[in-house]
Amino acid sequence: MSVIVITERTGDTITQASWEAITCAVELAGKAGSLVTVIVMGRSIREEAERIAGMTGLSVLGIEGDALDLFNAEVYKNILVEVLPEMTPDSICLPHTAATGYDLAPALAVRLGASCITAVDKVNYEGEVPVFLRTGMGGKIVEHVAPTGPCMVLTVLPGAWPPFRGTPSQPGDVRLATSHRTPEKTCALGIREATGDGGMDLQKADVIVAAGRGVEKEEYLSLIEALARIFAKSAIGASRGACDKGWFGYGRQIGVTGQTVSPRLYIACGISGAIQHISGMKGSQVVAAVNTDRKAPIFSVADFCVVDDLARFIPAFVEVCRKHRGAA
Amino acid sequence: MNILVCVKQVPDSEGLITIDDEGMGIVFKGAYRMNRYDEYALEEALRIRERGDADVVDAVSVGPRRAASTLKRAIEMGAADGIHIITAEEPRLTPFETASLIASYARQKEYGLILTGIMAEDDMHCQVGPMIAELLGYPCASSVIFEEHRGGGHGLRVEREIEGGRREGLELSLPAVLTIQSGINRPRYPALSNVLRARAQKLIEIDAASLAPPAPRERLTALRYPDIAAKGVFLEGTTAEKADALYRALHEKALI
Repeated sequence: MSVIVITERTGDTITQASWEAITCAVELAGKAGSLVTVIVMGRSIREEAERIAGMTGLSVLGIEGDALDLFNAEVYKNILVEVLPEMTPDSICLPHTAATGYDLAPALAVRLGASCITAVDKVNYEGEVPVFLRTGMGGKIVEHVAPTGPCMVLTVLPGAWPPFRGTPSQPGDVRLATSHRTPEKTCALGIREATGDGGMDLQKADVIVAAGRGVEKEEYLSLIEALARIFAKSAIGASRGACDKGWFGYGRQIGVTGQTVSPRLYIACGISGAIQHISGMKGSQVVAAVNTDRKAPIFSVADFCVVDDLARFIPAFVEVCRKHRGAA
Repeated sequence: MNILVCVKQVPDSEGLITIDDEGMGIVFKGAYRMNRYDEYALEEALRIRERGDADVVDAVSVGPRRAASTLKRAIEMGAADGIHIITAEEPRLTPFETASLIASYARQKEYGLILTGIMAEDDMHCQVGPMIAELLGYPCASSVIFEEHRGGGHGLRVEREIEGGRREGLELSLPAVLTIQSGINRPRYPALSNVLRARAQKLIEIDAASLAPPAPRERLTALRYPDIAAKGVFLEGTTAEKADALYRALHEKALI
């Protein structure tokens, strides 16, 4: 029995979400008394495979092939369904990312006849048996899900586990394999970096004022801007929902498929706090949240919670700040 | 080429969602509507038809009787036929069951392209589209934010939106499955002619049992409310008092 992690790479190294999936896998394996194997795929990945084995003490399987330089779901899954069965996995963990997990996990589950549980953010144990927790209904409900069969494919929500940090007494063993498989129905064309719109501002800002679907009308935008102007190194961010309304460019999106930020202060305005958004901002040092719904999940990660209407609260807050500045 | 768009009926986020007494089912008070991501998928299919790369756009939905209104909405937006694979209200199907039902319907029809939203807003699995592709042996691209036909209509070039706002290019041969990310287009409002057509037109109804769905591979063991044991404090009082309290709190931490 074993737990497998299928990592994803950016360039030569595996992503943060992959290191988080390794942490989840080690936790699962510890309970079940199984061994963890980390799989890394690419054209030339010996160095990265050895680095992972050295940092984790876990077994690493490196699969090399000319067609594996860029991610290609078709060829990746065709190779994985060849190598996975002989490893008799009980769990296969992937990052819950658009980059790899969205395409790979459901396809692998179908091919392997396995259960598929996606966007897992916590594991509970009933005795030794794991039950997987995932959030639905815009963050309002937590589902507890268990597999019905012996093998399961899991995707691990980014931000739910910390990246793996270990102090192994000795490096894990590294096995390298080569595959000459090539894709037949698809062709990967490469990655284009995000365009300028706001992305860098968000990374450099001390304070981020973020707008959600609760920003209902265009006149609210000037309120958000007025709030951001109070702070010196500030930037305006948005939830996916607010971007979809057309108020903000997607370069300002915070959360899964957007930016991951960790400013000194994050002010969430009219953001309900779907887990996809929270995973992109929960590294912020201090979080203030304003929402009309006292039960909004954003309040679970906020230090200061304000239940109020943005149209009333922001002008009042701006006024208080002005008064104190005037006095100073 | 014909296109099949998979649409799901979801509870509107403005409604009230609670858990039943057994802790196993969801009680919803409010309006149901089409999953927003599926609206983008339907709009993209209609645009492909309008630019001359497809002949017919159909919509399919797996769900209980009430899901018929979402298929009517799809016809109002411009879908030709609405195919309703009818299930019971409870239990909710797993993504694998839903994908298997759609795949066994689509297998007989030879659609050149199958579109879904990237995920359903309610359970957010991100599974049904890629599973349909796997069951039919079609290539798949998830999180698609741009698509165009190439090679005389035999293939597609797409861009997938991945983490950090980056875009990954991919070519796929047809038939194929795409899961559509929001923001790829602006979904249209229904034209009056289609609204009238939807009122008169009957949906194609299929009993889910007749498509021999597989057994589920996951089981729900419980539903819970999230732990909103807020780590922080709720500022109370009038709006002015709350504004003052927040100012003082941020000032104390030297954030303002």
